[in-house]
Amino acid sequence: MSEGLPILEIEGVFKRFDATQALQDVSLSLRRGEVHGLVGENGAGKSTLIKIMTGIYPADQGVMRFDGEEYLPHDAAHAQSQGVAAIYQEPSIFPDLTVAENIFIGHQDRGWLVNWKAMTSEAGDILRRLDIDTDPSMPAVGLTVAGQQAVEIAKAMSLDTRVLIMDEPTAALSAHEVDRLFSQVRHLKEAGVAVLFITHRLDELFATCDRISVFRDGEHISTRPRADVTEESLVREMVGRDPSEFFARSEHPEGEVMLRVDSLDLAGKFADISFEVRRGEVLGFAGLVGAGRTDVALSLFGIHPADGGSIELEGETINITSPHAALAHGIAYLSEDRRGLGLSLNQSVSANITLATLVRYTTRMGLVDREAEQADALALSKRLDIRTPDMETPVENLSGGNQQKTMLAKWLNAQPKVLILDEPTRGIDVGAKADVHKYIDELARSGIAIIMISSDLPEVLAMSDRIAVMREGRLRAIFDKKEATQERVMESAVGVS
Amino acid sequence: MRPDRIKELTLLGIIAGSVIVFGLLVDGYLSGRFFNRVTTSVVIVAILAAAQALVIFSRNIDLSVGSTVGVAAYLTADFLASNNWANPVVAMVIAMVVGAVLGSFNGLLVAYGKVPAIIVTLATLALFRTLISLYSGGANVLAGDLPDWVLGFNNVTLFSIAGFDLRLVFLITLAVVVILQWSMRRLRAGRRLYAIGSNPDAARQASLAAPRLIMFSFVGAGGLAGLAGFMFMVRAGTISATAGSGLELEAVAAAVVGGVSIFGGSGTIVGAFLGAILIDTLELSLVRVPEVSEFWRDAALGVLILAAVILDATLQRRFTRRLTREVRGPDAADRQTSQVAMSTVTEGGIGDA
Repeated sequence: MSEGLPILEIEGVFKRFDATQALQDVSLSLRRGEVHGLVGENGAGKSTLIKIMTGIYPADQGVMRFDGEEYLPHDAAHAQSQGVAAIYQEPSIFPDLTVAENIFIGHQDRGWLVNWKAMTSEAGDILRRLDIDTDPSMPAVGLTVAGQQAVEIAKAMSLDTRVLIMDEPTAALSAHEVDRLFSQVRHLKEAGVAVLFITHRLDELFATCDRISVFRDGEHISTRPRADVTEESLVREMVGRDPSEFFARSEHPEGEVMLRVDSLDLAGKFADISFEVRRGEVLGFAGLVGAGRTDVALSLFGIHPADGGSIELEGETINITSPHAALAHGIAYLSEDRRGLGLSLNQSVSANITLATLVRYTTRMGLVDREAEQADALALSKRLDIRTPDMETPVENLSGGNQQKTMLAKWLNAQPKVLILDEPTRGIDVGAKADVHKYIDELARSGIAIIMISSDLPEVLAMSDRIAVMREGRLRAIFDKKEATQERVMESAVGVS
Repeated sequence: MRPDRIKELTLLGIIAGSVIVFGLLVDGYLSGRFFNRVTTSVVIVAILAAAQALVIFSRNIDLSVGSTVGVAAYLTADFLASNNWANPVVAMVIAMVVGAVLGSFNGLLVAYGKVPAIIVTLATLALFRTLISLYSGGANVLAGDLPDWVLGFNNVTLFSIAGFDLRLVFLITLAVVVILQWSMRRLRAGRRLYAIGSNPDAARQASLAAPRLIMFSFVGAGGLAGLAGFMFMVRAGTISATAGSGLELEAVAAAVVGGVSIFGGSGTIVGAFLGAILIDTLELSLVRVPEVSEFWRDAALGVLILAAVILDATLQRRFTRRLTREVRGPDAADRQTSQVAMSTVTEGGIGDA
């Protein structure tokens, strides 16, 4: 066995998307039979690297070598046939087909016919070898996420996979299932497979990995054997971007409490969330993707109302059961999912801006007053500097930054008391980002209480008056601007003890 | 047991049950005559149900089968009227080729044009029908102009036991069902068709050559609709431009009653066939019960379709729950707080790594 020798080498890879340099001169080498951990903040370039490794995106520059030969996958199936496969948090299986078919579909090399007997027994062999207790002749429809992942691991084994990428595979698993997954990973390791293991959980990283690499802002920062890594050293390397590139908030007096949330609960999503936001204050919500920040926001906006706890607005207890109720109380939510939830893409800029407040433009006849609608839309688009040919242009024709501003305009038009911004600057260019920061500051000064969820640590630090940090559905800390540093916030977010 | 098998056996049980009930209600019901009537009348819808299932498996639908039946029946009859030498095999091949050509038109637009099947086939439902109207100029092909074998074909009996006939048309239908069932189960292409309907995104990721397979399934469905057109011709004799109208809905109904999931991915050809038999048996039986008016016969069909869909959904849920219990460990809940990690948020999007 040529154990320990590199199987996949990545050298000098660059990748750029519009305004964002997603990967910059990244080099990484995976060895046979090693479990290689990969960590980094959201946006560090991990997912982009996976997509390049599995042939979903081409690299702009740089080379990859597989077993010494140049490796240029042109799609996921091609990468698989070369021996590189990936398993994601949400596996993609065929629910109606049997487990055995799921393992072998796409690469049964038995000619025209399906040999059910051979297929089922081979699938059984692979599952047994991995200690997976699943009947290969049953349809996959009833499998849990863990079971589905196990099927994907079995599929990878049947494909003679040499490099297996696991992208946050434990995010949806119970502790018991995680243990089983780890034992499957050990089987893979013994078989000489190189596993690239991506996770946000430091304990898992230390429990499984032989080497750990850190990415930050699209750059490869370090690769070290596990023994040379501590939780503190990881956090230090994960953070460290200079916040000075950001707009500086102006000084302002402290206002009275606008929104008070007390022990908010939602089963399976978050528990015991208590905080308050003042008039004119920006409360940042930091944490890793999946920590439950968006779930809290969706509860406050009435999309998934909380099971327990109370919400007070200007000293009065309110009950939010629907987005309609939230808006009536003056709580607005700017979704992180701009295309899915935030905007009606094929509708015009003006229609989007007035969508949430259409009642205001409705005449006694029940018709929409188009002139008033247009006038308000125009005023807001001027104020926010939305660059569009005219108010009737469909939003989908605008750039990401201008779409984001349109969404902001929509909620400003609702004249909210509390505005929840979820990843307000994700995926938009630097100029638009600076604009959005400026408006957030203006809005706060006009007396609105703002909750800003952001996975961009320097952004949270620069824009917030206080910073709440969530991890695994709970509020772990609230820092004052003065005491917050990137390291302290990141330590709370990943759970360094 | 596989859920598909459970569905098939359930249907068989329902068919047997309703035959017994009607046997008790209606005098002289359980006779060779009734059996022969069902087995000859069911062939058209049974073949169309199999055709429909073939496209529904991959999450598509073919609403044009009724019009395809019409075109195939008319063109074949027209050919026979001026070529009296032609034998049944030649006629059948012509009908199936006509159907396959029409099906390939649907297939091209759905598989490569990426237009939803329901739209494409709704359009071709009308287009194909217009085609015969134009071609026929409103004239019928008369039974008297057809070769002599045509009108007798429906009653060709291979053997008969105590008045129960095995008719040739029914045997052909059985052969179609058996061959298709075998193909869907044993051919790789068949399994891939199920896979495409079960999860189109995953099928794309696995490079299952979806467009080509979908194209084939529409060509196959068209060819089968052509065969049904032949069956229509031998039954009707005189063929008008409206031949086969409305059959598309009967075909969809039979497939759905037969447990073919309208969302693709599950169901069997045998199931669709049994669905057709159940509907036909009920229709022909209810006629024998004088208390049931024609209006209520339609309602009975509607109720049957809804019952089938509800039963299907219930079975599916049961099955899912049972399997989930088997696979889940006893301590699945011990990390509840960690489960929150799976929120609606996923890392991704342009520029976000």
